[in-house]
Amino acid sequence: MIRAQALSKTFGDKTAVDAIDFTVKPGRVTGFLGPNGAGKSTTMRMILGLDAPTSGTVTVNGHRHLTSPAPLRSIGALIDAHAFHPGRSARDHLRWLAASNGIPTTRVGEVLELVGLESVAGQRAGRYSLGMGQRLGIAAALIGDPPVVVLDEPVNGLDPEGIRWVRALARRLAEEGRTVFVSSHLMSEMALTADHLIVIGRGQILADTSTEDFIATHAVSYVRVKSPARAEIGALLTRAGHEVEVVDNALHVQGIDPAAIGDLVHRHGLAVHELTLVRSSLEDAFMTLTADSVEYVSKTREEVAA
Amino acid sequence: MTATAVVAERAADTATRQDFGDVLRAEWIKLRSVRSTWWTLGSLVVLGAGLTIVMCWGNADWLASEGADESPGSFITWGMMIAQITAVVLGVLAVTNEYSTGMVRTTFAAVPRRSRVLLAKSLLVAGLLFVVGTATALIGYFGGNYFLDREGVGMALEGDVLRAMYGSGLYMAGLGLLSIAVGTLLRHTAGAITITIAVVFVISGMVALIPGDIGLFIERVMPGNAGSVIATPVTFNPNLLDAWPSFAIFAGEVAVLMAMAAVALRRRDA
Ligand SMILES: Nc1ncnc2c1ncn2[C@@H]1O[C@H](COP(=O)(O)OP(=O)(O)OP(=O)(O)O)[C@@H](O)[C@H]1O
Ligand SMILES: [Mg+2]
Repeated sequence: MIRAQALSKTFGDKTAVDAIDFTVKPGRVTGFLGPNGAGKSTTMRMILGLDAPTSGTVTVNGHRHLTSPAPLRSIGALIDAHAFHPGRSARDHLRWLAASNGIPTTRVGEVLELVGLESVAGQRAGRYSLGMGQRLGIAAALIGDPPVVVLDEPVNGLDPEGIRWVRALARRLAEEGRTVFVSSHLMSEMALTADHLIVIGRGQILADTSTEDFIATHAVSYVRVKSPARAEIGALLTRAGHEVEVVDNALHVQGIDPAAIGDLVHRHGLAVHELTLVRSSLEDAFMTLTADSVEYVSKTREEVAA
Repeated sequence: MTATAVVAERAADTATRQDFGDVLRAEWIKLRSVRSTWWTLGSLVVLGAGLTIVMCWGNADWLASEGADESPGSFITWGMMIAQITAVVLGVLAVTNEYSTGMVRTTFAAVPRRSRVLLAKSLLVAGLLFVVGTATALIGYFGGNYFLDREGVGMALEGDVLRAMYGSGLYMAGLGLLSIAVGTLLRHTAGAITITIAVVFVISGMVALIPGDIGLFIERVMPGNAGSVIATPVTFNPNLLDAWPSFAIFAGEVAVLMAMAAVALRRRDA
């Protein structure tokens, strides 16, 4: 379990993390979601005692990591994709990590096998591809067989096979009863991996909810109706108590399915040219939620012109 | 019992408590598994012993002549004055290669008590440099003294000559520690090496130009001057204090820098 209380971090006059409270529970994958610069990595560094909180506290299974009696057996983390010396082999990297926490050397072979790097373990890590480096980072996170695992953007730079592998690994770790905290800026990725979501924007928690609830609440759908008799149909639907919006030359109707609209229109002898169920994606939902908190906005051409 | 409870319980087991021996073993694996350790130590031996032998060979007949105004004792560890660069590089790299690669975050997540990391690195680098530095001085002595002996100005391995042998080891070890401290404070390889070499080599020599008692005082306490007296039987520079008082000053300077490094390490974000 990870527990943050009024956790804040400022760099100069910039507030990266703003008095956040959250709990990451064991036995499930918790996604930590937010746009670039939201404060995900800073929060994770504070969990590991790498950055000192400006105020507030964060504990791992009730202890501050800085005073942990057995650090790697309590929490394992992937923080920097390439946090190893390029001249050192993967095996030596894992060997010093194991030694630092009195972990038997046999564990090195186990995690190498787990991440599929046994065949290249003797090579200098600087020769590794991005994906191999990421796997080495994950091996390092798991070396102490820790009850809490923190992964900062673990799928960055991975191919589809690698992404599926990380997803399955995270799920398995959670099923084993561990606390799994995974950051990402991709909503779609998190929807597939996480049971629970903590959404952060500009250092503040925007949502802390189960993935299911998040989807139900935020992924809205509507029916697009195009018709020469747009005005009449709009009036009919409004009278029937549905929410109708005119967008360009179409109607956007919420709270009713396309079949019901078709029947209604038919009963009144009107013509329709299009009847489409439009589901906004989770990515859209995430964008809507974080729209006000996105720090580095890229403008479209129209917005720039305006 | 749930899986979580099992894992949590294992973590709390006192037998798995991280101790300083664990950190020392980890840092030893780190140190010996990068090439820079071996090429810096190799260079130390080659430069330190090799240049001493070359200088003794080239100057033996002059040292034996009437016109000699230097002592053979100033030449018998001559190479160490160049080889000290390698000690600086070894000490700085032991720290800054962690910062330049980002590995430092892995290190401090694995060993949150950062001063243990600093202490382990210090012990290992100082120990290695003491052993290799002393061995290098001895090789230089045996090689160089062969040429001095041929001209009748050889020296026995006793007294100040013997002291200069392990004194060379002590000076290299001290330089390694100084460099670890500077590396920790600056966290930047090129910056730390440049500054350390500038202070130890260049400025230590230049302060001789400052006139008066102040100038003499500064000259005596500059780390490159105070530290190196112990590494040679007869110093080229007659202004400096004796070997052990000089070394005490140097050790004090190293201790102060180390303390500053320990405080900075604790206070700053990794
Ligand atoms: N060491 C630092 N010094 C100054 N500012 C920093 C530092 N680290 C982070 N920041 C700032 O704090 C904010 C949060 O950064 P952080 O890296 O935590 O975001 P993030 O959510 O991980 O973003 P990303 O998705 O891009 O990785 C950013 O505005 C960043 O510029
Ligand atoms: Mg980040």
